[in-house]
Amino acid sequence: MSQLWRNKTAMAGMFIVSFFIVTAIFAPLLSPHDPVETSLYDQLKPPMWHENGSSQNILGTDDLGRDILSRLIYGARVSLVVSVFSVGLAFAMGTLFGSVAGYYKGKLDSVIMRIMDIILAFPYLLLAIVVVAYLGPSLQNAMMAIGITYIPRFARIVRGSVLEECGKDYVTAARSIGARDFRIIFLAILPNCLGPLIVQTTLSFASAILDAAALSFLGLGAQPPTPEWGAMIARSRALILRASWVMTFPGIAILLAVLGFNLFGDGLRDALDPRLRD
Amino acid sequence: MTHTSPLLDIVHLQTHFFVRGQVAKAVDNVSLTIESGKTLGLVGESGCGKSVTAHSIIQLIPDPPGKIVGGEIFFNGKNLLDDSEKEMRKIRGNQISMIFQEPMTSLNPVFSVGDQVGEVIRLHQKLSKRETRDRVVDMFHRVGIPAAEQRLDEYPHQMSGGMRQRVMIAMALACSPKMMIADEPTTALDVTIQAQILDLMNKLKQDTGASILFITHDLGVIAEMAQHVAVMYAGRVMEYAPAETLFTSPKHPYTIGLMESIPVLGSKKKTERLSTISGVVPSLFNLPEGCLFSDRCPDVFADCRKISPRQYETEEHHTVRCLKYA
Repeated sequence: MSQLWRNKTAMAGMFIVSFFIVTAIFAPLLSPHDPVETSLYDQLKPPMWHENGSSQNILGTDDLGRDILSRLIYGARVSLVVSVFSVGLAFAMGTLFGSVAGYYKGKLDSVIMRIMDIILAFPYLLLAIVVVAYLGPSLQNAMMAIGITYIPRFARIVRGSVLEECGKDYVTAARSIGARDFRIIFLAILPNCLGPLIVQTTLSFASAILDAAALSFLGLGAQPPTPEWGAMIARSRALILRASWVMTFPGIAILLAVLGFNLFGDGLRDALDPRLRD
Repeated sequence: MTHTSPLLDIVHLQTHFFVRGQVAKAVDNVSLTIESGKTLGLVGESGCGKSVTAHSIIQLIPDPPGKIVGGEIFFNGKNLLDDSEKEMRKIRGNQISMIFQEPMTSLNPVFSVGDQVGEVIRLHQKLSKRETRDRVVDMFHRVGIPAAEQRLDEYPHQMSGGMRQRVMIAMALACSPKMMIADEPTTALDVTIQAQILDLMNKLKQDTGASILFITHDLGVIAEMAQHVAVMYAGRVMEYAPAETLFTSPKHPYTIGLMESIPVLGSKKKTERLSTISGVVPSLFNLPEGCLFSDRCPDVFADCRKISPRQYETEEHHTVRCLKYA
């Protein structure tokens, strides 16, 4: 852990991530306006430092007069929920599949891992589009779609670590004291595989945010008027020359959130991987 | 002796491994008995089937590729091979427990040692947290871990090899099993610690009346621990005798070879080289015909390469698998 504190980029990442999480949690307290409230008189107001801007709308307003800062703050909430849910789903299912495959080996392993390979073989966005097209476009379905597409990466990591751990004596020892398989897998082996799993989780948060934004941009995720960053960008495509701020700020928000999780995840990996220690 | 049935009676056990269409007879027709409160030493080179025999008893053979294809294992008069996995789980750790070779890897690195010993108790007995903890502290005292209360919360990596092996023994004894299987428990330890651990095991055996199946490749250790000895070679028991008989009058050429390979301290024949058994252990996939030891045997004669010897009884309780005694 002290390894992590000393890593400056990881700390920067952690700072951004905590900022993002705090913003999401305290969104109602932080946002100056209602994120979905439209105002016909305040359409496309530029940010406050612009000559026509006002301190009423710090980052300006969009084409329906909604306050962009408020929408970004609430958007953090949406992104956090999406990433927690989809990564949580992928984590739970991937860990289950991976550990069972790695522990029992043989046919079960082949079947599970070939299914994972099939999921991996699809371009993830295409797969997500298929899921969403089947279930209908909504944020929940986008979360499901992202979660499902992320299952293989967890399953693979867990399977690899479980395979490695299975060869160690403490697993035989656990069996020799009469523990049942379930107990051995989840209480004895898995805690030893947490390192790479934590890293994968953090990095997946970043891609989940990005993918959710991508799906929403395509109109398959968050539906209006939900303040979602990707959807905000999609909506403002036509305005890019006239009112660039409408598109710029959600873009920066996505960039920062993804960057934060990635930096933090990389730092965690460096801290947890003994081979990278000096 | 005649009216009491032995605690463990292995009859014609056969454990085979099926690898890439080939069969390795890792344990072939092994029969052993262990009486209550006694120690049976199982000696042999690496890969001779000692550990496979031990794992077969509590049915921890990885399947696939391994499978117990024949034989019976009577424990307390009941055939363990008829038991379901659920019944076996109740026996493992509770009635038969195991001590492993590597104290470095046989403890789970992410849990405190107290938790791990407590786990065995939790699995088999309904005790409160407090009682479990007291029991663990008591076990730690019995296996000679100083400052037991403090060490309870330590993690395996904070302990020395000897201490970890004591923890393993505490784990094995936690539920007062009738039998312990010790799979080379001292091989990874240095000699002074080894002596301490052996003394401890002998003392605990006397205290608890548990039997021990002691696996090792060290004849010196066997002399100190066992009442009976079985010498294994390539999956078969070559010689089976009371410890004293085996050391005073070994019969099988392999046993004799093993004894001669032990360096003698202060030997007069200083210039002489240490004697070895020539050749290597045959591959289990490619066993010689006739006697398995025939390729390396100094006393080999023509029939050895044709006829597979049975176990011949040279005197009471002493059997040898060699045509010389047919």
